[in-house]
Amino acid sequence: MKQLVQRTVDILRGRGVDYGEVRAELIRTENTDFRNARLDDCRTVETQGIGIRVIVNGSWGFAACTGLDRDDIESAATRAVDIARAAGGRGKVELAALDIQQGTYSGPCSKDPFEVSREDKISLLQKASDDMMKDPRIKNSYAQLWFEKRNRVIGTTRGDLIETDLVFSQPTLTATAVAGGDAQSRSMQDGARIAGWEWIEQSGIGSWGEKAREEALMKVLAEESPSGRMDLLLDGLHLSLTMHESVGHPTESDRALGWEANMAGRTFVKLSDQSSLHYGSSLVNFLADNTLPYGVATWGWDDDLVPGQKWYTVKNGIFQEFGSVRETALLIGKQASRGCCRAMDTQCFPINRQPNFYLEPPDNGVTPEELASDIEHGIWIEGRGSFSIDQRRENFQFGGDLFWEIKNGKKTRPLKKVIYRSRTPEFWGSLDGIADRKFFKTMGLLTCGKGEPGQSARMTHGASYSRFRGIEVGGGR
Amino acid sequence: MTKQEMLAFVQAAVEASGTIDSVAVLTENRNAAVRFGQNRITQNMDVFRRELQLTVGDGKKQATVTSQRIDLSALAEIASEARSLLNTSTPDPEYMPPVEGGQVYPIIDEAWDEFTAGCPAAPRMETVGKLIDTAGENNMKTAGICWMLNNQTAVATSTGNLAAHRYTSAGLSFTMDRGLASSRTFLKGTAWAELEVDPEIQKVVEQVKMDENATDVPPGDYKLILEPQATWNLLMFLPWIMSARLADEGTSVFSGMEGKKITGENFSLSSSLYGTPPAIPFNTEGLPSRDVVWIEKGVLKNLPCDRFTAQKTGRPPLFVPETMGMAGGEGSVEDLVAGVDRGILIRRFWYIRFVDQKTLKLTGMTRDGVFLVENGKIVKPLKDFRWNWRPLELFSRILNVGKPVQQAAGMIPPVVIAEQHYPFTD
Repeated sequence: MKQLVQRTVDILRGRGVDYGEVRAELIRTENTDFRNARLDDCRTVETQGIGIRVIVNGSWGFAACTGLDRDDIESAATRAVDIARAAGGRGKVELAALDIQQGTYSGPCSKDPFEVSREDKISLLQKASDDMMKDPRIKNSYAQLWFEKRNRVIGTTRGDLIETDLVFSQPTLTATAVAGGDAQSRSMQDGARIAGWEWIEQSGIGSWGEKAREEALMKVLAEESPSGRMDLLLDGLHLSLTMHESVGHPTESDRALGWEANMAGRTFVKLSDQSSLHYGSSLVNFLADNTLPYGVATWGWDDDLVPGQKWYTVKNGIFQEFGSVRETALLIGKQASRGCCRAMDTQCFPINRQPNFYLEPPDNGVTPEELASDIEHGIWIEGRGSFSIDQRRENFQFGGDLFWEIKNGKKTRPLKKVIYRSRTPEFWGSLDGIADRKFFKTMGLLTCGKGEPGQSARMTHGASYSRFRGIEVGGGR
Repeated sequence: MTKQEMLAFVQAAVEASGTIDSVAVLTENRNAAVRFGQNRITQNMDVFRRELQLTVGDGKKQATVTSQRIDLSALAEIASEARSLLNTSTPDPEYMPPVEGGQVYPIIDEAWDEFTAGCPAAPRMETVGKLIDTAGENNMKTAGICWMLNNQTAVATSTGNLAAHRYTSAGLSFTMDRGLASSRTFLKGTAWAELEVDPEIQKVVEQVKMDENATDVPPGDYKLILEPQATWNLLMFLPWIMSARLADEGTSVFSGMEGKKITGENFSLSSSLYGTPPAIPFNTEGLPSRDVVWIEKGVLKNLPCDRFTAQKTGRPPLFVPETMGMAGGEGSVEDLVAGVDRGILIRRFWYIRFVDQKTLKLTGMTRDGVFLVENGKIVKPLKDFRWNWRPLELFSRILNVGKPVQQAAGMIPPVVIAEQHYPFTD
């Protein structure tokens, strides 16, 4: 791969580009899917390719191919240079400064999942699926083990050359119960990690089948949500999605610049809001961290070759800085990129994506039950459900996966069809309690959609149980 | 690759499989697109991709390998990996052999345009340049994408079926905005020449001017006028959950509703082989596409049905052949507006998600243009709002249907829906 990249970089040097970057990847994925306790899909996917990005006369050109023969690569190089020239200088591209990058990075992986036998994987999923389907009211079940091995090499005409080796692992499981004319699901939602088979063992998927079955049944038989203004106690898996939509996306620099106005949308956060906007209460500290162990955006370098970094997006409730790429950093008044440039694969132009980031948990010894004890009427929510937010990332509505009513400080009856609505600064401004870091949970997301043509990207979020005051609940019926 | 080369390759893949059952699908596509935002080009792309999917079976179980090594010399290794995977698989009680031989596939030549297939850069650059210049002249910002693509697919089954198809697509989607005022449009065709760009640019500029100084929607009763983009945004959720299997499991709004009325009479949904866009003539199993009426005058006539469920229940195996349109009438959006005494005109929805899948209750926001209509005229712009609706209920209360225009996967009309009480979040 390194030789292939270096040969392609040499081709670009010969074409007289102002900047040339070659990204090659070999990706192997393995799916084992069970539906309704039968092996539904047994599959491997091997993708390969090369993506060539050049700057000529201030304009980008990007071409990619899945063939790795010299003719394929020569053709891609020609197309990249030709379309950059055809842009006639309308791009005005300038990149933030960056030292020459060279090195290798391998993500943590104690036990290679591709070395674990398929029989073991099938056996694990069969048991979880059988457990889910033990009750005839479970009409639909799904269980999956997904693994990916990704080798990436990037070289440039500047002399950069980096190589990364990453292994991703994700267990998934969902049970759907049908009763009383209703259907409700319960899912295992911890998501993916950059880790090996050890994450599957640690996730407890083997015992999740029974839990999913019982909680799906409890949910389908539960009473529907009350409505009105009340307090919420939200767990880390739930908040991972809330923060993704209402903090991660609005703080992407390309949205602030209007580059996503036609598709993913804009943001209510203005460039002038950096270091001044009150984003939440003083307890709110969002820490972006592309060095987070097991985080699915911890790749060593981004696709701009910027090393992984750690910084506050929000500090003591005040918005600090947008996540940026080398091209947007200068346009938002910064001298250096925060390293948020990633493409789905070699066939995609890399764009501004969210980093790993999380709501920083305190060392306060507080339990979720202690947070609930100060709630007169509210709802305890675990996991993710329905989610929707306006294109400026301000007006949102979320559901969840499991709900209980809190009355007079106690977690009481289970509920279903709970949704809540709020606006981003008001919601984070209403946060008045966070449980101790021992209740911190992360969720690794593989499918954040953005861009045209659409690309998916990966990032990890997390939080401890957190309490929000006076949120509008209702309307899920 | 030529059509003959693609057909020969999938046949060779089936022969290399060495199993009783096998299906090979080869896809080749080129996608050239320019993305722009903030009145500058932000991405300029030309991507070429080939991929083989080989599914093998032994009569009881199956496995699939996908590879981008499109080389006859690689087939033996790909097939060997597929057989290894098959050996570790477990018997599938829903195992289906490949589609029976002798299938007849429709020929849909109208899907290909030679100029568009060549993906020349100059027309895209000229169009984007014009957009950026026009936005600048009007003190506006523009963002969007302009594309040309070609796609070829070939399929072969071990039962002797062999087919190939190719299509092209060209499109332009852009937003213009000035402050908080914005508008967006979407043009798509099989050929680049079908896109009528210039009048659309001027139309969007005027729409942005109309959208300035929007105010909150006052509570009250309003008819809804949905532009085709908005109708499509709501409609696209139907094919996602239209499934005979889900209906039989009791987890969908369509459970027990086949043959019954699920919307009002002026709502019909169908897929037509020679529609706009034209259908793909086969699916990746090698099953031929066909014309299908899904909903006729409000009655649920058919649901997409996988081959196992079809065999089990006696339904025909059906799938959506990448095209689905809603029956329309006459009249433009402006004509529909002229017939509304008090209503809200909605250009587009955004971030629609399920609130309750069982009842098909959705939530979403408006985006890029909402207007108060009084006595047949647009009176003033309104701010975006959130809604929670059941689209089947909305489609039960359609008062008027306009002339369809092409959206992403079919011809979709503007519609007028009977009074709703705002706020729409119950």
